[in-house]
Amino acid sequence: MKKRGKGIACIFYGTGYGNGFPDVSRAYARLLKDGKVEISVGATEVGQGAKTVMVQIAAETLGLSDKDIVLINEDTSKTPDAGTAAASRQTYNTGNAVKIACENLREKILDEAVKLLGVNTKVGLHIKDGLIHVKSYPSRNVSLKEIAENNKELKAEGIFTAQTTQMDENGQGAPYWPYTFASCAVEVEVDTETGEVKILRAKHVLDVGRAVNPTLVEGQIDGGFAMGVGYALMEDIGLKEGRMTNGSFEKSIIPTSLDIPEIEKVLIEYP
Amino acid sequence: MNLKKIDVNINGKDYCLEVEENLRLIDLLRDKLHLTGTKEGCGEGECGACTVIMDGEIVNSCLVLAFQADKCRIITIEGIEDEIIKNSFIEEGAVQCGFCTPGMVLAAKSLLDKNLNPNEEEIREAISGNLCRCTGYNKIVSAIKKAASIKRGGDSE
Ligand code: FES
Ligand code: FES
Repeated sequence: MKKRGKGIACIFYGTGYGNGFPDVSRAYARLLKDGKVEISVGATEVGQGAKTVMVQIAAETLGLSDKDIVLINEDTSKTPDAGTAAASRQTYNTGNAVKIACENLREKILDEAVKLLGVNTKVGLHIKDGLIHVKSYPSRNVSLKEIAENNKELKAEGIFTAQTTQMDENGQGAPYWPYTFASCAVEVEVDTETGEVKILRAKHVLDVGRAVNPTLVEGQIDGGFAMGVGYALMEDIGLKEGRMTNGSFEKSIIPTSLDIPEIEKVLIEYP
Repeated sequence: MNLKKIDVNINGKDYCLEVEENLRLIDLLRDKLHLTGTKEGCGEGECGACTVIMDGEIVNSCLVLAFQADKCRIITIEGIEDEIIKNSFIEEGAVQCGFCTPGMVLAAKSLLDKNLNPNEEEIREAISGNLCRCTGYNKIVSAIKKAASIKRGGDSE
């Protein structure tokens, strides 16, 4: 017989190392001679989209297009420490370091623009599409390229430390600062004779703060969902005297494209 | 070890090679010809990371011996000139770590070469021999739908 059922689960998840652990990310930003901005970021790209997101954050902070950002990534001789690509921390932590580095660089660029534009303050200056304008008088402008040509080297660093709190001796407290709240609902069909479970529908809702790149967030939801399905319905490590008894994909089963339904995904952007 | 002479066309190029009898096709591709886009995941025919197209059909190159490719046409990811499939994968976000991607793209190509109007089930079936640990498959399925639709003459979905 086939029976149907529905399930819903809610979680919250702490981003970063938490529990009072030092959680520091650094990044550099530098104005290049051609007016582009180079950012040096140690965040490792493991497929989550770190390279894309860091470029987006730099571009938005500086009022540039992503084509005007040159990314130096994962090069230990050039990139400062950004911590590990773990604990779901790179977009938030290193992303903030990139933002701070670019804000600091922006201030230095505007200081130089003040001299070239003949204004008395950087208040009211605006960067857009590689040009620095006087907001109320846009035809008075200077390009980032001219600023670069007029200066030896403009560069800045950004350091971001995530606030984390140590738990008390009973393991109680609020060890993280940013939390993600999520809920997931599924409808399944169970074959009561074989025990086989088929997922018919799924819906996932995540409160993600600000989705820097919604497509990438959705990709993480899809991937996380499939792993969850695996853990719940098929994956199991068999151990016998310390050795794995099912160390192959033939015996240790993970979901295939036929096991995963389309998932309705909702992102709640509530900063 | 006995050597065998084979004539094989790989990505449009003719090769006349001498291979050890027990050399697997994946090792010929990766180690001898340095076509390292083909990945080895499990080495036992379960994951599809080593997928290549052999005379129009997808095969796991870890389960094929190199000499069995004699007189065959092989297409690896390096030989895929299909920009539509590649761009659809990029635009839909169908690539995360990328380890399964060469196999997925080849499985998609082999499907679309035969059927330009596959339904959801046929797409899922076509890539069911290719494991992906990152994407949860959905964006790969939408990328293949999108590529099919563009190939049929539409812009996208
Ligand atoms: S490496 Fe060939 S199927 Fe896994
Ligand atoms: S993208 Fe990582 S295995 Fe598919």
